[in-house]
Amino acid sequence: METLNAGNYAPLMVEAKGLVKVFRDFWRRPKVRAVDGIDFNVGSGEIVGLLGPNGSGKSTTIKMLLGLLFPSEGSVRVLGESPQRVTARQQIGYLPEVSELYLFLTPRETLDFYGRLFDLKPKTRRSRIEQLLEMVGLTHAADRQVGEFSMGMKRRVGLAQALVNDPQLLVLDEPTAGLDPPACRQVKDTMLAMVRRGKSIVLSSHLLADVESVCDRLVILYNGRIRAQGSVKELLTQSDRLSVTMPALPPEKMKSLLQTLRDHIGEEPQVEHPSLDLERFFLNVIEDAGDSQLTGAGHHEGIARYLDGTQ
Amino acid sequence: MVALNQLITLTRLTAVEAIRQPIFLLVTNACIVLTAVMPMVLLHQFGEEGKLARDSGLAFHFLFGLFYASYAACSSLAREIGSGTASAVLSKPVSRSEFLVSKFLGLALVIVAFSTCACVSTLMSERVAERLAVTSNAAGYVIDWQTGWLLVCAPFAAMGVAGLLNYYGRRPFVSTAFLVLIVLLLFVFGVSGWFDRSGNFSSFDLQVQWRIIPASILVTLALVVLCAIALSLSARLGTVATLLCCFGIFVLGLLSDYWFGGTDGRSAISALLYTLIPNWQHFWRADALAAGGLIPWSYVGRAFVYAGTYSAAVLILGILSFRTVDIR
Repeated sequence: METLNAGNYAPLMVEAKGLVKVFRDFWRRPKVRAVDGIDFNVGSGEIVGLLGPNGSGKSTTIKMLLGLLFPSEGSVRVLGESPQRVTARQQIGYLPEVSELYLFLTPRETLDFYGRLFDLKPKTRRSRIEQLLEMVGLTHAADRQVGEFSMGMKRRVGLAQALVNDPQLLVLDEPTAGLDPPACRQVKDTMLAMVRRGKSIVLSSHLLADVESVCDRLVILYNGRIRAQGSVKELLTQSDRLSVTMPALPPEKMKSLLQTLRDHIGEEPQVEHPSLDLERFFLNVIEDAGDSQLTGAGHHEGIARYLDGTQ
Repeated sequence: MVALNQLITLTRLTAVEAIRQPIFLLVTNACIVLTAVMPMVLLHQFGEEGKLARDSGLAFHFLFGLFYASYAACSSLAREIGSGTASAVLSKPVSRSEFLVSKFLGLALVIVAFSTCACVSTLMSERVAERLAVTSNAAGYVIDWQTGWLLVCAPFAAMGVAGLLNYYGRRPFVSTAFLVLIVLLLFVFGVSGWFDRSGNFSSFDLQVQWRIIPASILVTLALVVLCAIALSLSARLGTVATLLCCFGIFVLGLLSDYWFGGTDGRSAISALLYTLIPNWQHFWRADALAAGGLIPWSYVGRAFVYAGTYSAAVLILGILSFRTVDIR
């Protein structure tokens, strides 16, 4: 399998070579070959999407990047170090697949707990907690126990804890699972804002639209192997076809234009009105309804405050 | 310094999580109520009521504590791994050894808190037990009903207060009930000193057998050792397998003196097993308190060193095992 290069993105934040993970049973007999010889790199300031159906090895790969699982073969380096080393994890933020939180803590306590694990100074910790709570729209519920939250709210707490150390590398496992469309948009905006600040993101998802809209490059996994890889543009562009978007023309001008096109290309051109994608349309409707909190007006403000470098 | 701060943070979280588990409150309340009720049903034991109440209290402390220590230790790690919180924490700059040690320290703190309740209950239970009381015009055996009922009611009162705090102040019920229980027990312990056995107000006299405290500390040390064993085993085994192993080790340790402890013709294997298996008899010294006996503090000190060394050795094995475990 050809290695997916980080292109112009340097230095490498993640470097995986020949990664294999075999899960064994109690008697050490091989049970599942979850990841089967994958190679990929992630450069600085890019978003790489691990795409694949359930059971394709995305989460296993991610857990090897974090040092939670030990590769059966191959090697992985994160920020130039083995992920087993504690220092390598100092600059990583991780959002697990399901919101793995202490249910008896409040969001504020949760962020304080993780902030302490990163040994953040009390003043920095306090201000960052407030900024993150504002950013994920949970200021109003900051002192309620996480156990009382809906799945979407738990995901927001999960995202906030992943950002508490202002990481260089953000690892997101199914970040939009269980979120409503506005919250999905918020997560994607956050990712793009992080990348603008030079951070790198590894994103695992089986939601194709999410991956397509934010990722620079894709690694498509199936049965533990890489089946396709490359930049989103490379993979999705049909280089032998063209689409032109222009203002609508009067019928007689349109007829003349189509005739000219027909003469040149020798086939019937496809003409249709462009349409918004459903997510954009839905967000417009919500925005028109005036619910600024849902559409993320406060969220954008929060991102700005968190990402303005004053945290 | 960073590692120490992390250790304190994780230890605190483990302790808070442990005292918010309903089973902890259930075990503590059951231990206190049974310890309190025992002297009230022990009548006409030929002057041995105090001893029976004391032995029962220490036995409840040991049994409930063993159950809780082994269950909490193995479920704590298994729950963290199962719920995924372990992977969230270990994806941060936290080493696995630090994680396991903090689990142990957090649970040890909770065991000490449980043991404080059990010890105070045993002290009061011994006071409640029937004794000969002589007044100017009568003599007879009297039970200290007042102290007994105060002790029985303490867990229920604590739950009532916690319920109110939960309703009005949204305080977590289980941990609040436990904290209120500790305060109430100490309060009842102090208040009972102002009354004599017949329930009459008198000058302050706690009338307790302080020599129970060293015996109670020894039991607590046994619980801490079992907690270390259960935690280390749970690094590799599931909850049920860990509990079964703990039960086996408990039985072996209880009979260690009889099975492996003889000096005549003892095989090398017996000697090895005698050294490796924790000897619970070292921690059960209730008999030493009979007939006014005392447990020397030097003995408690030696037991502390033994328990500390044994727990450390077991934890090191647990850490070595946990370092290579896949956290799914």
